[in-house]
Amino acid sequence: MKTKPFLLAATAIGLVGAAAQAQELTVWDWKSGDPVTADYYDSAKAAFEAANPGATVKFVVQPHDQYYTLLGTALSSGKGPDVILLHGGAQAQTRADALLPLTAMADGFSGAEGFTANGEVIALPLTIQGFAVYYNRALYEAAGLDPNKAPSNFAELSTACEAIAAKGEVPCFALGNSQGFGGEFFISQIATSTFDDADYTAWAAGELAWTDPKVRAIADQWAAAAEAGWFYEGANSIAKFMDEYEMFMRGDAAHTVGLLSDVAHWKQFEEFHGEGGVGVFAYPNSDAELARLPFAGGIGWAASNQSAHPELALSLVEILADAERQAIFAVDTGALPANLAVDTSGLSSPALAEALALMAAAPGGMPHSILAPSVLEEWKRQSQLLLNGETDVDAAIEAMEVARNAN
Amino acid sequence: MSKPAKRDRRILWAASVPMMLLALSCVYPIYFAINNALKDRKGYILDRFGLVTDPSIENFVTAWSRARFDEYFFNSVTVTAGAVLALLLVSSLAGFALAVLRFPARKLIFGVILASLMIPVQVVLVPFYQTIVALELLNTRIGLILSYTAFFLPFSTYLMTAFYAALPRELVDAARVDGAKFLQVWWYVMLPMGKPALLTLGILNTLYCWNDVLISLLVLQDERTLMVGIAALRGEYTTNVPLLSAAIVLGAAPIVLLYVIFQRKIVAGIATGAVKG
Repeated sequence: MKTKPFLLAATAIGLVGAAAQAQELTVWDWKSGDPVTADYYDSAKAAFEAANPGATVKFVVQPHDQYYTLLGTALSSGKGPDVILLHGGAQAQTRADALLPLTAMADGFSGAEGFTANGEVIALPLTIQGFAVYYNRALYEAAGLDPNKAPSNFAELSTACEAIAAKGEVPCFALGNSQGFGGEFFISQIATSTFDDADYTAWAAGELAWTDPKVRAIADQWAAAAEAGWFYEGANSIAKFMDEYEMFMRGDAAHTVGLLSDVAHWKQFEEFHGEGGVGVFAYPNSDAELARLPFAGGIGWAASNQSAHPELALSLVEILADAERQAIFAVDTGALPANLAVDTSGLSSPALAEALALMAAAPGGMPHSILAPSVLEEWKRQSQLLLNGETDVDAAIEAMEVARNAN
Repeated sequence: MSKPAKRDRRILWAASVPMMLLALSCVYPIYFAINNALKDRKGYILDRFGLVTDPSIENFVTAWSRARFDEYFFNSVTVTAGAVLALLLVSSLAGFALAVLRFPARKLIFGVILASLMIPVQVVLVPFYQTIVALELLNTRIGLILSYTAFFLPFSTYLMTAFYAALPRELVDAARVDGAKFLQVWWYVMLPMGKPALLTLGILNTLYCWNDVLISLLVLQDERTLMVGIAALRGEYTTNVPLLSAAIVLGAAPIVLLYVIFQRKIVAGIATGAVKG
C-alpha cells in the first residue's frame, strides 16, 4: 500500500512540527515538592498556560541543601532552568549576571531591595522574611500576666520573664542554638532597633566595630538574657529548626523567636495553641525606646537570561508573583506576601494581624543578612560560648573584632 | 546438664545480647518510619516516639499524589530497569570475554577494571558532568541509564568474570567442537550457566540504581527519581517528618520486597566474587 509511507511521513512531520511549536518552560525551586504549596503551583501553571496557548511549564523541585550547587553547575553549562526561585540578598545578587532585569515589573513589592543588583530588580519577591517574638497567651495568663498585653519594651519583657520564672514551669524563651541560629537571629533582633542608614552602610562594609555601643549591645543583651535565665538551659544542644519551635508548640516555653516566612510562624503555632492563643511582638532592645520588627524580602522569582523563551519566562515570573497567586501561597503556607496588592483581610488570625501591624508601625532591617559570613560564623561560636559561660562579653567582643579585621 | 553444655549456653547468651541490640538498632528505624508515617504532623510533634494512636494513610496518599511521587516512581522504575538490563548484557559479555577468550592484554584489561572499582564516584564527577553535557545527555533518562551502566559496570564485569572463570572450561571446548561460534557459546552455554550470578547482579544493581541520589541529582536535573524526591522533602529549615517517613516507606518498599524474595540469592551472590578472580 502506498498510503502507508505517506501516512508515516505525515505523522513524522506532524510530530516534528508539534515539537517545534511546544514551548516548555522549566522552573527550579525547593518548594514545589511540599504538598502545602500544591494549589499555588497548580494555579500558576493553569494561569500561565491559559495566557500563553501552546506553552507549558514544568516545576522541578530540588533538594534545598544542594540547590545552589546544582543551579551553579546548570547555569555554568548553559543548561539552567528558565525561571528560578532565589533567596534575597547575596544568593540573588551574586547571580545577577545570569538573570533578566525585572525593574519594570517590580512596582508594588515589599522587600525588593534584597533582590536588587546594579540598580536593577532581578527577582520579584514572593514572601517577606523576618523575626518576630511569638508568645503563648495561656502561659502568660497562668503566670499572672495580661495575655492580651504584649511586652512593648525591655522592662515589660523583663517583668514577663520574671513572672514566668517565678511560676517555674517553663523557660521564658525556647531557644535552639546548636547551629548558632539563635545567636544569628539575635543580631537582627537587637541591632534593628538602633541602627540608622549610616550604621547599615558601615556594617555591610565591615567598618562598624563590635566595640561600638550599638553593636556591643548584641553581646551584652545576649549574655544578660542568658544570665537572667530567660533561655532554655540546653539551648546549645538543640536545633532552632525545629526543636525550638516544637518546644514552643508543645507549650514547653512561653516565647520563641519565630519567622514571618513559611515556617515557624503564626499559622503553625496557632495549629497548636488555637486561633488567638498566640501573640506577637518585636524583641525590645534595652537601649532603644521603640522595638522595631526586623524584616526584608524572603524568596523571589527570577527569569534566567539563558532561557530560549525570555518573553514567556517573564510572563511566568509575573504570574508567580502576582497578587492572586501570592494570596494562595500566603493562605496555604502562612508566609507573609511581598506583593502589596494581596488582600490579607480574609486571614482572621489575630497573631497575623499583630505581625502586619508591627510591620507597618515599626519596620526594621535585617543586619545579620549583610554581615560577612566569616564574621557571622564567629558570632555564632561566641554566642554558644556565652551561653555556656565559657567566655565573657569582653572576650567575645575581642574575638569578634579579630574576625572583623581578618575579613 | 554437663559442664561443657552449660558453658556453651552461657557463651550463646553472652553473644546473643549484643546481637539482639544490634538487631534492634536495625529494626528501630523501620519501626520509627512506619509508626510516624501513620501519624499526622501535630501527633508527631506532641509525641515523637510514642506508638501511633489514630493511624491514617493520609501521608502515603499525599506523598504519592500531591508530592508527585507517582512521577518519581515512574522515573526510578524506568532508569533502574534500563540500567540493570544494560549492565547484565554488557557485563555478561565482558565477563565471558575476559574469563574464556584468550587475547592480548586480557589480564591488563581485567586489572584496569579492578582498579576502576577503587575510584570513588565523587572523584570523577566534574569530568563526568562535562561529558554528559557535551554528549547532550543532560536531563535525559537515557543519560542516566548510561551513567549508571558506566559507574556500576566494573563491579558487574568483575563478578561475571569471576563466575565464568569458575565454570569448567570443557563446556566451552565441547561447544566449540560442536561448531558453535563464540557468540553462540555465550548465548547457549555461558548465559544459562551464569543465571545465578546474573540474578545476583540484577538484584545488587537494582539496589544501587534505585537508591542512588548523587548521579541522578546531577544528570536528571529536570526530572526527579524517587530518592531525590525523598531528599527534596527535607525543607529549607523544617521537615514534615510524618510525610517524609511515608515517602521513605514508599521508596523502600519495592526494594525490601525484592530483598525478601531474593535474599538467599543475594547472600550467595556476594560470595560468588570471592571464589576466583
